[in-house]
Amino acid sequence: MMRIALAGNPNSGKTTLFNAITGSIEHVGNWPGVTVSRKEGNAKKQITNELGTVRIIDLPGTYSMSPFTSEERITRDYVKHENPDVIINIVDASSLNRSLFFTTQLLELGVPVVVALNKWDLTGKKSIEIDTEKLALELGCPVIKTTAINDKGLKELLEACSRVKGLSQSAPFVGIDFDSVDKETLIESDKKRHVYVNELVSNVELRKESSDNQNLNDKIDRIVANKYLGIPIFAVILYLVFSISQTTLGPFLADYLVGWIDAFYGFVQTLIGDSVSPLLSALLLDGIIGGVGAIVGFLPLIMVLFFLLALLEDSGYMARVAVVMDPYLKKVGLSGRSIIPMVISTGCAIPGIMSTRTIRDDRQRRTTAMLTSFMPCGAKLPVIALFAGVFFQEAAWVGTLMYFIGIMIVVVGALVIRKITGDTTRSFFILELPEYRFPSFKRAFISMISQGKQFVIKAVTIILISNTLVQVMQTFNWNFQLVEEGMASTSILASLAGPLSILFIPLGFGLWQLAAAAITGFIAKENVVGTLAVVFGITNFINTEELVLVSGSGEVASIMGLTTVAALAYLCFNLFTPPCFAAIGAMNAELDSKKWLFGAIGFQLGMGYTLAYFIYQIGTLITTGQFGQGTLLGLIGVVIYIGFITYLIKRNEQANLTLSSEGA
Amino acid sequence: MEMVLKSLISDVDEKSEIVMNNLTKVKLNTVQTIKAIHTKDGAMRDFLFTLGCYEGQTITVISKLSSTYVVNINDARYSIDDELAKAIIV
Repeated sequence: MMRIALAGNPNSGKTTLFNAITGSIEHVGNWPGVTVSRKEGNAKKQITNELGTVRIIDLPGTYSMSPFTSEERITRDYVKHENPDVIINIVDASSLNRSLFFTTQLLELGVPVVVALNKWDLTGKKSIEIDTEKLALELGCPVIKTTAINDKGLKELLEACSRVKGLSQSAPFVGIDFDSVDKETLIESDKKRHVYVNELVSNVELRKESSDNQNLNDKIDRIVANKYLGIPIFAVILYLVFSISQTTLGPFLADYLVGWIDAFYGFVQTLIGDSVSPLLSALLLDGIIGGVGAIVGFLPLIMVLFFLLALLEDSGYMARVAVVMDPYLKKVGLSGRSIIPMVISTGCAIPGIMSTRTIRDDRQRRTTAMLTSFMPCGAKLPVIALFAGVFFQEAAWVGTLMYFIGIMIVVVGALVIRKITGDTTRSFFILELPEYRFPSFKRAFISMISQGKQFVIKAVTIILISNTLVQVMQTFNWNFQLVEEGMASTSILASLAGPLSILFIPLGFGLWQLAAAAITGFIAKENVVGTLAVVFGITNFINTEELVLVSGSGEVASIMGLTTVAALAYLCFNLFTPPCFAAIGAMNAELDSKKWLFGAIGFQLGMGYTLAYFIYQIGTLITTGQFGQGTLLGLIGVVIYIGFITYLIKRNEQANLTLSSEGA
Repeated sequence: MEMVLKSLISDVDEKSEIVMNNLTKVKLNTVQTIKAIHTKDGAMRDFLFTLGCYEGQTITVISKLSSTYVVNINDARYSIDDELAKAIIV
């Protein structure tokens, strides 16, 4: 078996090559640093032929092997400890000069290297000529032309690998060993390395057009990333993305799938008939099949969103979006790259939070991961729709208001977190701008499947299990007898939610049913609708599979016993509290610190509570001339929350003052 | 007297960015030679070095998009903010 490591600059096409060789499914993006975690796969049989098993290991994209950052150390440590047989160095043929810096370092490692001169198709288009034979001679290793997006050159690449396996190569430039010297000497040595690379490039590369001139890419950028046009263009593109995924193609596909689940449900129902215990029936039908149905209901919407976003990433446009948004996001202490998690989170917060991995700065990444779930996600849409339908005559402004509030909370939250943690690092913004290219539908499809898979695995397990649990809790009382219609308050769920509902009185929704629905909302936000239907016994008004209001908005409103103001408060509470458990799990992975995790959840809980409190109390004051119930008690909670945050801010300012006075 | 004047002028040169030319002030599409990188952010300086952006090397501003600059370093395109552009002295 041959073990090959893939190393190269970000944006060199490394992930594309990995996918093309291994036929395994990975997320492909044009952003530097997308491949941060380690991936492995076996090469496809068609490419390996008689070479036997070939294992490919994808290393993180990096610009050099100097030991200054941990990303760079990974490559060196890997090679030292795990001894790959061959290293394939993927070099972007259109940025030879920058790429070869890393190449010369790889050649010093003592492992045979094969250079894959990738994006070869671009050299023709940009009138760049590279003498690959001369380059191979100079470097002392094979140089194979490849175009990974078209699967060209892959066989030759692997054949070259098997040729050099076990042989030794001599490095054309030998620098100083990292571990043994100080930084100054290392920099001097690297300067000589740059000089060597410059000379080498001038000998093997001929550019008919200087890279210092504006080309077509640059002209497009001047429009797309323009000061005035940039954001409107982005808004239009976002609108298109959403209308396709949420209102046209997405629901179209979802309807098909939900239809099948419905049929299956009916089939199983007739199959088990009455001869099975109600517990098992509830578990099987409503818990498992119902749970799957709920997920299947909105999975197509999310998958279409993933697909469209993958197309945008592939085209290179997303990097420009970060450039456009950066000046604004910087003002609240975030980076331009934070915009993408926010956009993805409007589909589903789980992949949104996972995508914060590309943000370099720790504090910015954690802040983004924490705040991104405030953007209303796909699962929250049924809740918004239900309340808009019942309490606000289906007014369109309700939904828009929710997104607007979400954005405001993100902005305020970012500022608050910056004040608490201290914005000591002024991290500069630099982002590589890759070439625009026409996106590949195949790659976007692969990316969609991959992201969909990750989401399904994370979400399905949690949603299924907890949904089943809730179904059981609301169907049975503590004696495990079936709860009759209208006797819902004797169920297990009611007795658990009851005490909690006292806390909600100052927010206008102190009923156990509403508390129970909010709790189930933590499992999956769309559960709020389903649970409300069941606990209020209004399943004839609300279709619990499709989670839509069927009729009787007036009746539903009076059954729920909420004033319009309280309804708005309840809606905001469910939307702007901690996200579903699966998303909290994703947050945990990205925050990588228990302190941040509990801080995040506390922040989110407090935010939802405070927001609902003010909406209910002030709204009731405006509409009826009096405050709502429990004003003072709720105020205590709100004051504690705001007070604690203020304390944290002051504490940070004190610390800064002490530091600066000590320094002076 | 001459020595005092000379040292005064070099002081001004080092400390005042008004006297120095940085990337925010240069003409587009003209090749510049980097004289210094004025930043306390060591990690950024190291990163720029890897890309080939350090004293003595060339850099060109391709376009200016509000407070962002698209630059060409070693045949590759990057977008940088105006903070970073001010820090690159040419």
